[in-house]
Amino acid sequence: MTKQWTGIATFAALAASVPFFLGDNPYIADILITMLMMAALASAWNIVGGYAGQFSFGHAAYFGAGAYTTSILLTASSIALPLCIGAGILAASLIALLTGAIVFRLRGHYFALASIAVAEIVRLTAHNLEITGGAQGLLITDITFGNLDLNSKEPFYFAMLFLLVTTLAISLLVRHSRAGYFLLAIREDQDAAASLGINLYLWKNMALVISAALASVAGSIYAVYIRFIDTSAVLSLRLSIEIILTTIIGGVGTLWGPVLGAALLVSLAEALRSNLAGELLVNSGIITEASPIESFLKNNLAHAHVLVYGIITVLCILNLPKGILGLFRRKQRT
Amino acid sequence: MLEIRNLNAGYGEMPVLKSVSLSVSKGEILSIVGSNGAGKSTLLKSISGVVRASGSMDFLGAPIVDLKPHEIVRRGIVHVPEGRKIFPELTVSENLRMGAFLNPQHYRSRIEMVFDLFPRLAERPNQLGGTMSGGEQQMLAIARGLMGDPKLLMLDEPSLGLSPLYAETVFRSIGEINRNGVTVLLVEQNVFLSLSISNRGYVIETGSVVLTGSGQELLENPQVKKAFLGM
Repeated sequence: MTKQWTGIATFAALAASVPFFLGDNPYIADILITMLMMAALASAWNIVGGYAGQFSFGHAAYFGAGAYTTSILLTASSIALPLCIGAGILAASLIALLTGAIVFRLRGHYFALASIAVAEIVRLTAHNLEITGGAQGLLITDITFGNLDLNSKEPFYFAMLFLLVTTLAISLLVRHSRAGYFLLAIREDQDAAASLGINLYLWKNMALVISAALASVAGSIYAVYIRFIDTSAVLSLRLSIEIILTTIIGGVGTLWGPVLGAALLVSLAEALRSNLAGELLVNSGIITEASPIESFLKNNLAHAHVLVYGIITVLCILNLPKGILGLFRRKQRT
Repeated sequence: MLEIRNLNAGYGEMPVLKSVSLSVSKGEILSIVGSNGAGKSTLLKSISGVVRASGSMDFLGAPIVDLKPHEIVRRGIVHVPEGRKIFPELTVSENLRMGAFLNPQHYRSRIEMVFDLFPRLAERPNQLGGTMSGGEQQMLAIARGLMGDPKLLMLDEPSLGLSPLYAETVFRSIGEINRNGVTVLLVEQNVFLSLSISNRGYVIETGSVVLTGSGQELLENPQVKKAFLGM
């Protein structure tokens, strides 16, 4: 466990020094912020999905709850940003508790299915209410926080990094506490866990609320960073699924799997979207910009990142049930 | 110690236990025998609260019929479920720690007692539960139950899937657990083995108690001989 703490501290220090080497490169900074955000979301999901084994297919609801609460409060009032984020945590926890209170009475796949339903209810509600801007979404026009320059990327890089490190620390604390062992017992065998006196209902809800609260903070930071949210950006089923894929591909139920998965998938998506392969071929002189290969890559591969995601997921599930992290550490478990 | 009167339980519309009454006295080994589908496992599940039941059920003088599983464990009834149900991805010592979570302050003394009883577990604390043999897993399951310091230990088919030799080892351990002061409620298909270590037994058929007596009496009962021992 000490090793894991050292790992988190080293990661935090290394990641915190990146902006100083990067200089002014908003493109890379944006990719890194997205990476940190996906890593934090996947790590948060991992607490309930990986440790407790309860697969939530609706984590976008908690992310969106944070994003919308913060946006609404910021535009409609003069409440300070940290309080807005706190309100987002409350909103997400409330949704999580309502879901869990009803659905955790059931076992197996019911929770997974119901989590989709709840997320869709939240999405459709936000899509049709006036206060959430309906289909138009919400725009944050004016925002200040202390004397930070919120037009630059740096504050958001550090905010997301802080969130990720906090999430990792909470994961480690949870995993090695009594509660963590309860969650593992529930994941491994619910009957056996109940026969040892573990209150399944209580601990599953606990894991879900912790996870939802952390996901909502990511949503709040995202909203302030992008300054525009709508239901397709922060409440879509696609986001929920990307969170799960990131964790599964990296290594479900491990501390670093979600981080690894996020680093991999976000860079992969970006490489495909920006047609990196085509550019490489052109730059190295193998093909010219006008060649049919380049136009094929540009017109097709660039839009195929979702397809590639899918293929990687299938390959991972078939060959690496413990994720990519499982390749390196077959015996160790976090 | 445990008094059950007119207990009914079932799954959905289907009744399984029909007005079962039985009592367990402190310090004894009590066997419940019966064929497949007689309701033996359902009876244990009703006692541990996993299956909802109606009727009256008093443990140490207090009613427990409406309590949730974790509350019943807290009263001192530990159920070692059928098919062992150890945590396969956790090590032996992690499995045992799980069992002690309701009273972690007694962990040290409990683990010594358990390792004394099952030296095999003491030899390999870091082995993953799922990689052990069936008999070792059964020992681990019983040991995990004992970590909770039960007053009443309920074992569901501890001989399931074990070689005759291993089954005997496990049953010897059950006798030893009982001599250490734990009351044991045993559900078994292996009628001969279980009745021969039991003080008393009940025979259940299609959800009702049809016969009761001391272990020896039941073993010599012509009905039991014919139905279960093929004699």
